[in-house]
Amino acid sequence: MSDSRERILGRVRDALAPLPRRAPLPDWSEALAVRRGTREAGDLWALFAERLKAVNGTPLTAVPDLVALLEAGGWRHGYCDPALWPRLRGEFPAAFTVETEFDRRRVDDYQFGITAAAGAIAETGTLVLSDRGTSCRLGALAPWVHVAVLRREQIVADLPAAIAALPADPNVIWVTGPSKTADVEGILIEGVHGPGREVALLLAG
Amino acid sequence: MARQSIDAFIAALPAEKRAAVYAGTKTTHEKRAQLLLDHFVDSDRLRRWAGEIKQHVLENLDTYLPQVEAKLQANGAQVHWAATADEACAAVHQIMVAHGATRMVKAKTMVSEEIGLAPYLEQRGMEALETDLGEFIIQIDRDHPSHIVRPVIHKNRAEIARSFEREGLGAYNDDPETITRRARQHLRPKYLAAGVGLTGANFVSAESGRLVVVTNEGNSRFSLAAPRCHIALVGIEKLVPRDHDLALFLNLLARSATAQNLTVYTEFISGPRAPGQPDGPEEMHVIFVDNGRSAILAGDCREILRCIRCGACLNVCPVYRQVSGHAYRSVYPGPLGAVLSPLLAGEQFAEMADLPKASSLCGACQEVCPVNIPIPDLLLRLRDRGKREHAPAAAAGTPPMGAWALLAAQPAIWKTALAAGRILNHLPVKLIPVPALRAWVARRTLPAWRGGEFRKWMRQRRRS
Amino acid sequence: MTPDRQLPGADKRVQLMATCLCDAFYADTARAAVEVLEHLGCTVEFPERQTCCGQPALNGGDWRASRKVVRHTVEVFAGDLPVIVPSASCAAMLFHGAPLEFEQEPDLAAVRQLARRTWEFADFIVNGLGVKQWPGRFDGRLAFHRSCHARGTATGAAALTLLSSLAGATVVPIDEAEQCCGFGGTFAVAFPHVSANMGALKLEHVRAARPDLLVAVDMSCMMHLGGLAEAEGKPLTTRHLAQVLRDALGQGGPR
Repeated sequence: MSDSRERILGRVRDALAPLPRRAPLPDWSEALAVRRGTREAGDLWALFAERLKAVNGTPLTAVPDLVALLEAGGWRHGYCDPALWPRLRGEFPAAFTVETEFDRRRVDDYQFGITAAAGAIAETGTLVLSDRGTSCRLGALAPWVHVAVLRREQIVADLPAAIAALPADPNVIWVTGPSKTADVEGILIEGVHGPGREVALLLAG
Repeated sequence: MARQSIDAFIAALPAEKRAAVYAGTKTTHEKRAQLLLDHFVDSDRLRRWAGEIKQHVLENLDTYLPQVEAKLQANGAQVHWAATADEACAAVHQIMVAHGATRMVKAKTMVSEEIGLAPYLEQRGMEALETDLGEFIIQIDRDHPSHIVRPVIHKNRAEIARSFEREGLGAYNDDPETITRRARQHLRPKYLAAGVGLTGANFVSAESGRLVVVTNEGNSRFSLAAPRCHIALVGIEKLVPRDHDLALFLNLLARSATAQNLTVYTEFISGPRAPGQPDGPEEMHVIFVDNGRSAILAGDCREILRCIRCGACLNVCPVYRQVSGHAYRSVYPGPLGAVLSPLLAGEQFAEMADLPKASSLCGACQEVCPVNIPIPDLLLRLRDRGKREHAPAAAAGTPPMGAWALLAAQPAIWKTALAAGRILNHLPVKLIPVPALRAWVARRTLPAWRGGEFRKWMRQRRRS
Repeated sequence: MTPDRQLPGADKRVQLMATCLCDAFYADTARAAVEVLEHLGCTVEFPERQTCCGQPALNGGDWRASRKVVRHTVEVFAGDLPVIVPSASCAAMLFHGAPLEFEQEPDLAAVRQLARRTWEFADFIVNGLGVKQWPGRFDGRLAFHRSCHARGTATGAAALTLLSSLAGATVVPIDEAEQCCGFGGTFAVAFPHVSANMGALKLEHVRAARPDLLVAVDMSCMMHLGGLAEAEGKPLTTRHLAQVLRDALGQGGPR
């Protein structure tokens, strides 16, 4: 295999050697590469919420609203990050069954999964999840409804800021709305392998 | 004159396939144009910058490749190098064997199609299951994708429903939502049973070693949540210099590909799972694939390696939209494929030398390319090469230009021809002595020949 | 895409490249170009030994043959006068295609020198001579076909500026206007099915706009679309921009 490495790198070097000069790295302007109206926005949560709604995500600001949403959908069995559950459990009626350990043998039992967000991007209505911040990957991915719990200070304005803020983490995921496909005749269907509902729950502190 | 195979293909293509491809591409390319206009002050400048960044990377790959390898290794990933398609397949196979895995779930990656990975593994008793809905349908149909982003753009819901029924996924039902739910149910246990998850990479940052994988369905996330081993297949050209540059590329990519601002999932992967994380791979392998790319880097069409596989060129190409992807006889169709496929063919270039001819050189592709690849110029270069190497596929249907040049470089002969051409006004079309002209008049009326009239008028005007 | 061009001198002397298609079929387009340029005060020279820009061989894939013709053209148009071309594709050949195929050739500099003096007709009127408003009158619904070789140049905008300024004229938009008509040079005969389909689709879009005539800056597109339309039994009136501008001076309308 190191033989292949040498072969490939050797060919690359030989390919580039005759070039009289190498193309320079251009300076590009962040301001021009960010969607119009983003940087002027005063309230990042308001912009984030607007852009999240535009991709059929659901921004919420109170736990009772979340409970109402889950009840309306008939989703009463779910998973929650054990670090978050103490804060939320008081608002969940007894009819709910919420596990704080995800059993991958019973993947389809969980109708919703509540995990912590590692950040959010107002420009695109995107939630940021990370490996260290997400108690289990499957809990955020497999259930029909995913709820990301977010704090206001976690929201950045735009992509360049979000890239600069990428945590040192082996797996950071930007989630922009519910999963979808348009493979069948270009018709948009939500809820493919990932969640069909994506909720951002803003909590203070 | 011998016939061009792509032209013959379209003559035989069923009308509903052509209509499906035409409609599918039209919506996406129109929405794409509107989005870029609405969201950015000057999206052309963004494309040019992105192109320059990619060109810089390509021309400095000798520095960036070792750099990214070191970063990946520092992050805990194992790095492999595959000079050929066979080596890449063998590397994947070896990793699976070493890991004790016989089942793989794969997210969408064109490189895996290019190297023929699924058949290679299947021949060795392993399962390589496509998880992207479009690719899954292709797999169960034993078909080939006809678009790099919308693999089943050429199929309608009825065909897909029949395929699902045939595969035992339920009684015939062509409702797109039902089809999608069935795929979801069918694939869940497969993810959990698989030992290996395979992805590609849309970008690899040479600064941090992060792989960036973009999807809409969540299949790539699932392939990285359940299985214990991750293999990433990455073409050597997929690098970007800095994390910072990703902000520019990501704002261009989804808009160009599917007219979305961002795909639903943008994953930044820099190593196996974090300690304490119950789900995800314990091992991560990155296989850098050459398979002809270094040869392209050495030639005069290296700009094609900037490509970020968005498919915008396919969606706007008037030829692709008429003929559809299978006409191109290769993994990469459309304007991208017309340049890349003959080049990747290496010594078999001549067999693909007709692809660069299947274009009216309209330039729409370059105009939409998020990395500003000068595709028409590259097509011209490949035509020149096809001629110099005497590739019959390139020559088919093209009138002999040597004779034309003789005529056009000699004014006296030219003027004679202008006068003689008057015979075309009187000759029955079947008797026109020039094959190219006969081909023309088979479908179009020739205008009246007026050779010499303007010149005479001009001379008279000068005298007065 | 277009290199920086030198502007005309005070005496407005220019050379005309009539193009091979006008030489063979579209004599009136070449005449109209001369009449329009002279109306604008230009002295138009027509080097008699001109033939063709060399493009058919370039896009046919035979660069060697193409270079022979380009060399002849460079020699015929020697000097430093602006060269005006009533064809976006021939103009693009001279300022883009020829330098491309001469990259490795010792006489690249001469090719580039001609490139810098080459102006497509509409671009020259609006950006070379600074004329943005056209006098006279032209009644009718005009659909404008911006040929593909005008992509990335000032030609499309220039032509629309002039057409929109015409008293009596209504410029009607065509759906999918940016899609190629299907000519493509040798492509039209090497890929007859694809080419004809593309043309038929374009005609559908044009007819849906119900224009009185289709105006272009490239007779090659018109030869293809006009020829297809006539073969279909539903002829389409096509004109070069130069003809419309000339006719407007004589208080014209669709003829």
